[in-house]
Formats: sequence, C-alpha cells, structure tokens
Amino acid sequence: MATADLERDPFYLRYYTGHQGMHGHEFLEFEYSHGRIRYANNSNYRNDSLIRKEMFIGPAVVEELKRIVRESEITKEDDVAWPKKNVVGKQELEVRIDKEHISFETAKIGSLADVNESSDAEGLRVFYYLVQDLKCFIFSLITLHFKIKPSEFPFACLDESDVS
Amino acid sequence: MADVDMASEVNGAGHSWAAKSVEGWIIIVTGLNEETTEEDLQDLFGDYGEVKNLSMALNRRTGYVMGYALIEFPEKEQAEKAIKGTDGTEFLEKTIKTDFAFAKAPAGGRSRAPVSSSGPRRGGRDREASPGRR
Repeated sequence: MATADLERDPFYLRYYTGHQGMHGHEFLEFEYSHGRIRYANNSNYRNDSLIRKEMFIGPAVVEELKRIVRESEITKEDDVAWPKKNVVGKQELEVRIDKEHISFETAKIGSLADVNESSDAEGLRVFYYLVQDLKCFIFSLITLHFKIKPSEFPFACLDESDVS
Repeated sequence: MADVDMASEVNGAGHSWAAKSVEGWIIIVTGLNEETTEEDLQDLFGDYGEVKNLSMALNRRTGYVMGYALIEFPEKEQAEKAIKGTDGTEFLEKTIKTDFAFAKAPAGGRSRAPVSSSGPRRGGRDREASPGRR
C-alpha cells in the first residue's frame, strides 16, 4: 500500500481516557485516520499543560497498527458487561477495521485486579492489553518523532501509570 | 536533492514521501522474531550508519517482542540504505519488512480528514450505545 492509498483506507482508531475532576478535564487521547495520528494530553495537576501533536505515518506503521488491532481480536469482544464509567473517569476505544466497527466505553482500569473482578474478565483483558500495546506504540512514535524528553512525557512503555 | 528523489523514484525505491523527524530519520522494522534483542538489531542496522535511537516494544501480555522496532539514523541516506539492505530479508528466521516510519503531510493538509472525526472529541459528553454489536 502506498502513502496515497491511505487516504482511501477506512481504517480508523481512537482511544480516550479521562475524567472531570478538581483539576478540570484531564485526558489523554489519540486518533488515527487517513495516514495521520493526532495526540492530545491535558494534565492540569502540577502545571497547566495541554500537549497536542500531529504526525503523518507511512504505510508500514499503519500496517503494524492494524496487525496489533487484528491480532488482539478486540472486534470479537463486547463492552456490555464491562464496568461502567464512573467518577474516576472513563475510557473509550473506537476502531473501524476490515468491515468491523466497534465503539467501547468502560471505566478506567487501575490494574489487572480490576480486570479479573469483571464478569467479562477475558474480554476486558483483551481491551486492557490492547490499550497498553497501542499506547506503547503511539508514545514511541511521538517520543522519537518530536524528541519529547521523558520529563515532559512521562508515559513510557513500561510505565503502568495512567494519565492521572 | 529533488533530482536524487526523482532518480530513486524511477528505480522503484523512491522515498520522497518520507518525513524527517526532529533529529533524524526514523525507520520501522516489522515481522521480528519474538526473541529478538536490541543487540541483534544494533548489529543489523549498525552496518548502515550510527543508530541514534532504537526502540523495541514488548508485548504486554506475553513479555515477548511485539514484532516491531523503531530505529533512528542521522542521515536519510543511511536510512535508505538500511531499508534497501534489510526489507524483505530473513533475519533470525523471520522475513522482516523495513520502511520509513513518517510521512510528509499530504498536499492540501488537514482537509482530508473526514468530517466525522474532525477533531479529538472531548469527554463528558453523552454518547450513543456502541454500534456493531452482534
């Protein structure tokens, strides 16, 4: 697939995690669409900072993104039995791939213990790990492309911590 | 420079679409053997130039290599040689693919995003039930 073909490719991916709290609306979101990744991260805790980044990726990166999504088999899952969003916040994952379209919403997941307590632990686990793998990929791309120092961008791949 | 790009385009290896990152040129290698180490990649790609950065992710579930790595070279020429020398080749018993990771913004810029996703959505809004359940 050439770069121009990405314009016609319907593959779409969006992830959001955030909450409204005493520091306002704090969130992290990334979206892939038509060759472009957009990223936004708003954390008001220590300093008022909204980071927005946008980058265009080549076909090989897009294919890898798709492979990660496909191999997770997330489109076979259903969020009906997952924990509902709450005061702590929510997560959203929307994917359009291979004639499938999912749009999931669930509470923030602190750890695997939260996953295991769910009545659909297996499905939620798929979601949990896919989100980790996607974040890792997107953050690696942003870190390398923009040379954001870890201090400004404290969400490294091996860091379990979330936006809040 | 334009002449160089055009010449390589004719050869079928044109990378005029590739975009430079802040400090260098990033390539992505995919299809890696799940037991690949960063040293293996350093050995492979170090032949084409100074590897300024190397980032290889692990699968969060299995702990094995995810299958991709991002590698940064200072010069485009080094990145191109690395791609030419490794794309489609066998590495640790797996056929790997290599290409530039980043692309230039298309002509016409932002207009090509569909209206339905014309901006990161904010939380806190009501939303419809998930579609596509079956």
